Amino acid sequence: MNILEIRGLHKDFGGLRALNDLSLTIEPGQIFGLIGPNGAGKSTAFNCIAGVYAPSGGEIYFNGVRINGERPWNLCKRGLARTFQIVKPFATKSVLYNVMVGAFARTNSRSEAERKALEVLEYLHFEKHRNSRAGNLTIADRKRLEIARALATEPQLLLLDEVMAGLRPSEVDEMVGVIQQLRGRGITIFVIEHIMRAIMALSDHVVVLHFGQKIAEGAPHQVASDERVIKAYLGDEYVISAG
Amino acid sequence: MTRRSINQSACLLVAVLALGLPLVMRSATYLHILILLYFYAYLTTSWNLVGGFAGVLPLGHAAFVGIGAYTSTILYLQYGVSPWLGMLVGGILATLVGILIGLPTFKMRGAYFALATIAFAEGIRVMIENIDRLGPFVINGPRGLQIPPLKLGLSNFMFAVKEPYYYIILIMLAAVLLLTYCISRSKLGYYLNAGGEEPEAAMALGVNVARAKLIAMAMSSFLTALAGTFYAQFTLYIHPKSVVSLDLSFEIAFIALIGGRGSIAGPVLGALLLRPVSDFSRIYFGDTVPGLHLIIFGVVLILVMLYQPRGLQEPLTRLYNRLVDRLAGTEGGEASA
Repeated sequence: MNILEIRGLHKDFGGLRALNDLSLTIEPGQIFGLIGPNGAGKSTAFNCIAGVYAPSGGEIYFNGVRINGERPWNLCKRGLARTFQIVKPFATKSVLYNVMVGAFARTNSRSEAERKALEVLEYLHFEKHRNSRAGNLTIADRKRLEIARALATEPQLLLLDEVMAGLRPSEVDEMVGVIQQLRGRGITIFVIEHIMRAIMALSDHVVVLHFGQKIAEGAPHQVASDERVIKAYLGDEYVISAG
Repeated sequence: MTRRSINQSACLLVAVLALGLPLVMRSATYLHILILLYFYAYLTTSWNLVGGFAGVLPLGHAAFVGIGAYTSTILYLQYGVSPWLGMLVGGILATLVGILIGLPTFKMRGAYFALATIAFAEGIRVMIENIDRLGPFVINGPRGLQIPPLKLGLSNFMFAVKEPYYYIILIMLAAVLLLTYCISRSKLGYYLNAGGEEPEAAMALGVNVARAKLIAMAMSSFLTALAGTFYAQFTLYIHPKSVVSLDLSFEIAFIALIGGRGSIAGPVLGALLLRPVSDFSRIYFGDTVPGLHLIIFGVVLILVMLYQPRGLQEPLTRLYNRLVDRLAGTEGGEASA
């Protein structure tokens, strides 16, 4: 069974159609990339899947169950977790506290949540920061905290919204390693990313959005040489010189 | 000597001090001031469950004090129900009202929520002031209700001296502090804090933010109403201005903000600091400059918000921790006193 299936997804904001007839299927264990220029509708798609927005039309199935309009906290309990493009740490609290909030999704016991959170922190080589205030972390560490919190909810499918934006090249490589490691844990990953180097190295399959519409789909190298994709990113004249 | 044992002995010291104070202090005036201090510390701690942990700013908690005070008093005066039982009924009534207010208002952000709660509490006050009878219940409008101190005794929650009131409110305060401590370490506490700080992120992590806030609101309004009954039995006279006024709602928020909202010690520290200011300014300047204490509160609040936005509990906690570190670290068994 497909872990996520989207059929004909629409999202309108007033008169603006932010997503137009988006369909895609993600199989368990995949790292699935979603790319596109700014304003293409990538985050809107994520927000529809994660229950922040109710879709204007279309169907979303998670593990075969229709999840249109399901609330975010219920989706989390079902095994769908996400990170935010603009990081949202609980800034006045410690890193451990932040991750424990995620861990409480699966337990009511504080000690159990703490054990789980420490395990996740260790897994991400983040345990030395456990007592740091989340608001004092560097941007790279905040992105890592987003992942740690999401991971603590024990997801089957993890939506990563630009977790590498703003990172230095060495940090990007590290993050790529982390994401590959997560797949090794059996977590399916759906990732939005702007950094092409990263998405090419990571993804098994890529979908390209442009003005809310899917313009290309396939293996990363296929997509990268697609004329429409180059046009969407760079404009018309570059296609001519490329051809 | 370990940190743990130092903390324990500090708690023990405070407990002994609080329990023994009435034995040493024979002045009824000072005892009265202390009782009100605990009363406000209790109210603010109850308020803190919503206003502190859930990250919203309710400014209408006097409504719950009023509901508690009026419910138990009416039940006692008209039906002879023991105020202890009336206290419980008032608490349940306030819980229902609290949920009713919370349902529509928790979707509001920041100042809008605060304004909505003010409007609600003021609505209740105006209603009580203008209604003499509500169905079978005598409310007496602005004249208020007087409880004749005829049948003294524990079962009627009425005493000729102040000491019993002192111990009752002390126990109530200790209980609500313990409850706050337990909640802050529980899943609910984590969820409230998370939802208060970053609601969107919290929801994505499985937190039903609105539900957590409603639970906190229900508990907070229940506990606040209990204090209303206490106040009614302590003063034996309630009227809308004393138990449902905006001043009361504001004073609770003042104490919380200055002491440090969202922390366990904050409300107690705030009450310790502000209540004496309020009482002594009333004793010494009451006839020349009435309302002086509110001006002082305002100035203190501005200063605290400027220099210690998380309240006075933060520097004081740091100071205390440093003290404990020193005791635990350098001086071994010497610190046993």
